[in-house]
Amino acid sequence: MIKRPSRGKKKRGFGMATVPGQLIWEMVKKNNCFLVKQFGRGTASLRFSKESNNLYNLNSYKHSGLANKKTVTIQAADKDQAVVLATSKTKKQNKPASLYHKSVMKKEFRRMAKAVENQVEGNYYRPDLKKAALARLSAVHRSLKVAKSGVKKSKRQALKIRV
Amino acid sequence: MAAAARPLVSVQPLPASLNDMATDHVTTVALPDVMKASIRPDIVNFVHTNISKNSRQPYAVSKKAGHQTSAESWGTGRAVSRIPRVSGGGTHRAGQGAFGNMCRGGRMFAPTKTWRRWHRKVNVNQKRYAVVSAIAASSIPSLVMARGHRVESVPEMPLVISDSAESIEKTSTAIKVLKEIGAYPDAEKAKDSHAIRPGKGKMRNRRYISRKGPLIVYGTEGAKMVKAFRNIPGVEVANVERLNLLKLAPGGHLGRFVIWTKSAIEKLDSIYGSFEKCSEKKKGYVLPRSKMVNADLARIINSDEVQSVVKPIKKEMKRASLKKNPLKNLNVMLKLNPYAKTARRMALLAEAERVKSKKEKLDKKRKPVSKEELAAAKAAGKAWYKTMISDSDYTEFDNFTKWLGVSQ
Repeated sequence: MIKRPSRGKKKRGFGMATVPGQLIWEMVKKNNCFLVKQFGRGTASLRFSKESNNLYNLNSYKHSGLANKKTVTIQAADKDQAVVLATSKTKKQNKPASLYHKSVMKKEFRRMAKAVENQVEGNYYRPDLKKAALARLSAVHRSLKVAKSGVKKSKRQALKIRV
Repeated sequence: MAAAARPLVSVQPLPASLNDMATDHVTTVALPDVMKASIRPDIVNFVHTNISKNSRQPYAVSKKAGHQTSAESWGTGRAVSRIPRVSGGGTHRAGQGAFGNMCRGGRMFAPTKTWRRWHRKVNVNQKRYAVVSAIAASSIPSLVMARGHRVESVPEMPLVISDSAESIEKTSTAIKVLKEIGAYPDAEKAKDSHAIRPGKGKMRNRRYISRKGPLIVYGTEGAKMVKAFRNIPGVEVANVERLNLLKLAPGGHLGRFVIWTKSAIEKLDSIYGSFEKCSEKKKGYVLPRSKMVNADLARIINSDEVQSVVKPIKKEMKRASLKKNPLKNLNVMLKLNPYAKTARRMALLAEAERVKSKKEKLDKKRKPVSKEELAAAKAAGKAWYKTMISDSDYTEFDNFTKWLGVSQ
């Protein structure tokens, strides 16, 4: 954040000089309430993360929702078949209530994928998360379809969405 | 001055319906310097583990335990082990082993004593560093969320509410206030997590456990809000002048969700001072200096000052390639010796020539000779013979006339 000199009495509240993401990551990587250590081979060696802003749910700096200023998240919305795409705003890091820019999407899959791609990569927001975002979108979308049409009764049953 | 460079925190107003005094419009407070102090989870952990030992009560085994017998060893020769045995007779106890940690009814190994060192001394400066770190960490939403508090609906961190909260008297209004400022989900989480502790602690007067909710810090002494807020499960209250690390970083983990009142936050400056100015309340105390003032590595690396001096990125990585044998691989040979191409070409052509001519010769030899050629060959032979004779003057010598058949 570039600190502008204040002119006389006119004080403007600019964003917090945040502790940088690297520092936060060092503190949080070993121990945080979202950390899940399960599913290793005989040991609990895989590290997952239950944060909502983590696209792969992996406990790593790149994917972390805690340590990054810009995060992307894709989740199922409350309404049926709708998906929420939320990106965090960089200037509002210390205002958790207004931190996320949420948009509910209820389009067909290809359109949603285009929208997600534009948001994540198109405006250079977090181009390194594009694949993760698209992968998560298809996973969420598929799970919504399953939720709607019920779990398959046999392995060879086709996935039909019963309206 | 220094205040001009510090960001501002807005004070959340409480709705007018909750108190008689008219609420002030949104005011702002400058962020106290404490919140910019360096965050040191290692120091906090160390201080926390030591400070939490200070409220322990001693426990020990009775000093007489296991010794209230007059047991004596029977010595050798009685076909029993040599442990002291209880003297006397007429009861089960007679003859049983005593005094040893292995004996039933004997005293334990190393009986616990009350004069064990229960409390720990921690340097005052370290204790202050830890508290200051914990306060700084409480203003960072990531850390507070990582500790597990539900702060998604909190309007701003650090959360400051107006002083009218200090005069709240009823718990019901207190809950309403929490809901207004978005702190209620955290208190709710604490309430829902009330459960019976697993393990023996149950029967040792530690029956229930629950999560920690928000910590509310007030500024004025004797504020009525203490009574209003303290009964809400999970919520704790503290005065700014007496902040406790065990409350600010429960479990040694940084990032408790703290709600400040306006007067509390204003007092923080005078209690902890700033990086240059001494604190007023703590004699000669200055906020700890960090090793790196600007710890944002990404920004430093990408800054103009660094990038202008840095060498360009090596995009082309030269890797070790597989060595190919020039004697077998023509292209590699050419890389070493360009003339090899023409040399080889000439060699090939010469070879082809040789082959061709040999073939022609052989063909000629194998072909049956025609009559004209035969006659020509014979005539050529005869002619040569004649020239040989004339050249060497064979006719002059008499000896040769006998067999020199061919006379001119």
